[in-house]
Amino acid sequence: MNQQQLNSKLEEIKDKLIDIEQKAENRIFLLCEAENACAVNKFLFEDVPLRFVIATGIDSDDCFEVLYHYAYDPTGCVVTVKTFIRDRQNPSIESIAPFLPAAEWIEREMHDLLGIDFKNHPDMRRLILSDDWPEGVYPMRKDAPKPKERPDGQPSRRPTVQSQSPAQRTVRLSKPIVAVGPFHPLQEEMEFFQLTVDGEIVTDIDMRISYNHRGIEKISESLQFDQVPLLVSRICGICSASHPLAYVNAVEEIAGVTPPDRAQYVRTIIAELERIHSHMLWVGLAGHFIGYDTVFMWAWRYREPVLDLLEEITGNRNNYGNVKVGGCREDIPDELIPRILKDLDLIEKKTEMLTKAVLDDPIIHARLKGVGTLTKEDAIKYAVAGPTARGSGVAIDVRADEPYAAYADLDWKVISQPEGDVFAKAVVRLLETLESVKIIRQALKKLPKGPIDMEVKEIPPGEGCGRAEAPRGETFHYVRSDGGNRPTRHKARAPSYVNVPSFRASCIGQHIADVTITLAAVDPCYSCTERLAVVDGHSNIVHDYEALLKLSREKTARLKKEIGAPELKMEDL
Amino acid sequence: MTITLQNLFWIIIFPGFLFTVAVGLVASWVVRKVSALVQWRVGPPLLQPLYDVVKLLGKETLVPQDAQQVVFKAAPLVALAGTLLLSTMLWRTAISQSAFVGDIIVAIYLMILPSLALIFGSSASASPHAAVGTAREMKLVMSYELPLVLAFIVVIIKTAALVEPDRQLDLAAIAQHAPALSISGMLAFLVALLCIQAKLGFVPFDIAEAETELGSGVLMEYSGALLAIWKLTQAMLLVALPMFLVMVFLGGFATSGWPLAWSIGKYVLILVLVILIKNTNPRVRIDQAMKFFWVYCGIALGIAVVLAIIGNYTGITWL
Amino acid sequence: MSWKIWSLKKSVWVFHVNTGACNNCDIEVVDLLTPKFDVERFGIKLVGSPRHADALLVTGGVTAQAAPRLREIYRQTPKPCIVFCIGACACDKGIFTTGYHMVGPVDKIIKEIDPNAIIAYVPGCPPKPEAMISGVVKALSAL
Repeated sequence: MNQQQLNSKLEEIKDKLIDIEQKAENRIFLLCEAENACAVNKFLFEDVPLRFVIATGIDSDDCFEVLYHYAYDPTGCVVTVKTFIRDRQNPSIESIAPFLPAAEWIEREMHDLLGIDFKNHPDMRRLILSDDWPEGVYPMRKDAPKPKERPDGQPSRRPTVQSQSPAQRTVRLSKPIVAVGPFHPLQEEMEFFQLTVDGEIVTDIDMRISYNHRGIEKISESLQFDQVPLLVSRICGICSASHPLAYVNAVEEIAGVTPPDRAQYVRTIIAELERIHSHMLWVGLAGHFIGYDTVFMWAWRYREPVLDLLEEITGNRNNYGNVKVGGCREDIPDELIPRILKDLDLIEKKTEMLTKAVLDDPIIHARLKGVGTLTKEDAIKYAVAGPTARGSGVAIDVRADEPYAAYADLDWKVISQPEGDVFAKAVVRLLETLESVKIIRQALKKLPKGPIDMEVKEIPPGEGCGRAEAPRGETFHYVRSDGGNRPTRHKARAPSYVNVPSFRASCIGQHIADVTITLAAVDPCYSCTERLAVVDGHSNIVHDYEALLKLSREKTARLKKEIGAPELKMEDL
Repeated sequence: MTITLQNLFWIIIFPGFLFTVAVGLVASWVVRKVSALVQWRVGPPLLQPLYDVVKLLGKETLVPQDAQQVVFKAAPLVALAGTLLLSTMLWRTAISQSAFVGDIIVAIYLMILPSLALIFGSSASASPHAAVGTAREMKLVMSYELPLVLAFIVVIIKTAALVEPDRQLDLAAIAQHAPALSISGMLAFLVALLCIQAKLGFVPFDIAEAETELGSGVLMEYSGALLAIWKLTQAMLLVALPMFLVMVFLGGFATSGWPLAWSIGKYVLILVLVILIKNTNPRVRIDQAMKFFWVYCGIALGIAVVLAIIGNYTGITWL
Repeated sequence: MSWKIWSLKKSVWVFHVNTGACNNCDIEVVDLLTPKFDVERFGIKLVGSPRHADALLVTGGVTAQAAPRLREIYRQTPKPCIVFCIGACACDKGIFTTGYHMVGPVDKIIKEIDPNAIIAYVPGCPPKPEAMISGVVKALSAL
């Protein structure tokens, strides 16, 4: 469908809507009342169909708004359903999670933070606030008490996955809750991922994600527009170029400005350098999980030149702070370009050798093929993004679907593989690294002269959606402004938010020796994978992360013995 | 009175506790330093193992509330005592040739004590993580102890014809000969070397992950002074076990003149072999280790026993 | 100077704790412990259990969910021990100071259990591995 056809298709649901606003060629807002929201969402997800991105809950003065954002990738259009919940005393709306599993987490989050009730949601446990957070205190509401004034409440709706420290530990089994112990919890208290197994096969998985919640969206409302990039680059250390990029795309959309060309190219180069070092990190970790420590050491060693380059350009190895509304803060000095090209040659050569070695190694084939498969249907149901999607045959990439920065001017291709297993995702990431090298080379050659920023005096009232392709997938930011110098609402969605729940689809039915590598294929943030534990439904024996890691590596050793092929050696790389 | 004092001297100072600990700490430094050099690193300073132990002695000792208190605390002491006695006995035999009949049996028995103590200590700690490690350690111990004893039996068979009839189980007498210079003896020596590798807890038979470097499950609940005792035991094993191999397979340990230097060379050789195996092999899985010891080592030793008996019977010494 | 502190300076076993960090500091800590920087020269070793640790490398400004975990880990670490606050968040919540879910910083949580805790601060966002080594060495020589 092209954009015209999409527009006419959307007309079909007009009877349920208050209005259709077309803010731009590729930005459509469908306004409706809360009662009709479920039907509209169902239509968009199933009939059109569109890909679900995220939902934003907003406390407007006279009502609550829930915005459901969808993407139509062939034309790069973002369709947002803006729902008004008029009843402020008891805000409630029909949940869309029953037919859209991708929305489960975000509805739980909106309930935690805004107090909106989602009727018929399959699993309304607390998601994002701590276990001891008092009930009835909703931090994202405008009238939320400041931290010091918060009343001490009794916590409730605790997740069933928990432990009462220090003596007892409760774990969730496939049947009733049984206490396992006694022992000293240490780092096993409150697991991040808890899997239930039957013998050696995983039957269920549960996740608890409050540890890294820092309340960034609320902090954003207290910062000025230009300070927010510095905040959001610290959402996650490895995606720290793409979050600010998505945010400034949103703000520049509101302001109706386009940064100068040189700035676009510099943004592209920094983003692609980050993609390279992030994929290298992933390759290293994946190698570590399956017992190829040479790969691990190699990958982390060849990350270093990339980090040094980023430090030369932006002043920091990891948090760049290079992007601002209207352009960039630092320029790439011309003297540096030969060195960048030289380092790129080295990285390209090593990555090509590694890719070839991976594609040829029968042990890696045996270890990773058919493991942790995420089918295309599940990939769509969970609305995954990035290499997780592209490795399952869903060829979406924001750089191609809705080109930002300089991607429209450069010649490169989207890498995707149909199989959906860990091997496919590894191949996607390796080949993408090579594509990134190509992109940077072209960008350096075509780097236009000129200023790297423009002055943006003020941000008018309005709302904007900004997207960027992070190494892990699509990063989406929604920003609303009322004409002041701070955002009134800023929603930041990292790609891992939709990728990690898909673990449920790819991990159930797998052997526990494959658990670490299956999770790694989704590429969550590093510290997430450390908090992994397995509960055996029958014998109550618990394996922790280290035991799972060992199982994973041993399986590789076993395969190695069976297949009898030589191992990848450091000298070969 | 003087005999008691003399025994105390032997046990506490030389070649007992102080001597063994000193040599053990130096030996464990050698292991770490060589491993570092192989990885193109600089590695720790000479006294590092000593610093580690002293520091552990100065730390709080935390004991899990639900652990079996007596067993938990006694296990490291038992391991230390066993290793200490083994080392003292071996070095005394080497130095003064004095012994008692059947002392090789006692030595084998003492050798098993540290492994048993490790199993008891970790299972007394009431931790599921330690439980997983304990199960593995038990399987490992069951796998390598038997081949080790069998290897020694091969030696006893081999030397039976060469020593006086009533000193066949005498360590001092056995140490006069070098059974490793025959086929069956070499087979037994190699098996024994790999069993020692497992006993010391080194790669490829270690149960720890690279990041943690301690027996992550097994010693997880130990801290402070009790952990220091485990570390000391590990260091002392590095003195006692190669020495045992030297005495049984390589012709003993002379104590003066050129033969002394040669003997020290033999001890260092075993240490070098252990380090070499440690640094050039990846970790194996527990059932692979079991298979290795029960099947491959078992077969090798079966052949060795047969060859040794034939050799004895027919008088061919190189069998 | 007591012999306990003297030997602690010579042999420091570290345990890494993440109390809600953005992972920059964590990756730099992992980088620190790779063979490239060879911290075994200083007697530093990474251990897998707080029971074996002499120093806690804590990253992240403590979130409400992570605070009980941090307290428990500190209690399980045998004293004497040093707590290193790695990064701006651990030192004083960094850019997340006004966040509603932050109950840190690290020294506030630790001092609730042990007012006499030994705490060292290594600021940076993230601090480079060289800065961390320098911080550790300086802290040890100041003991």
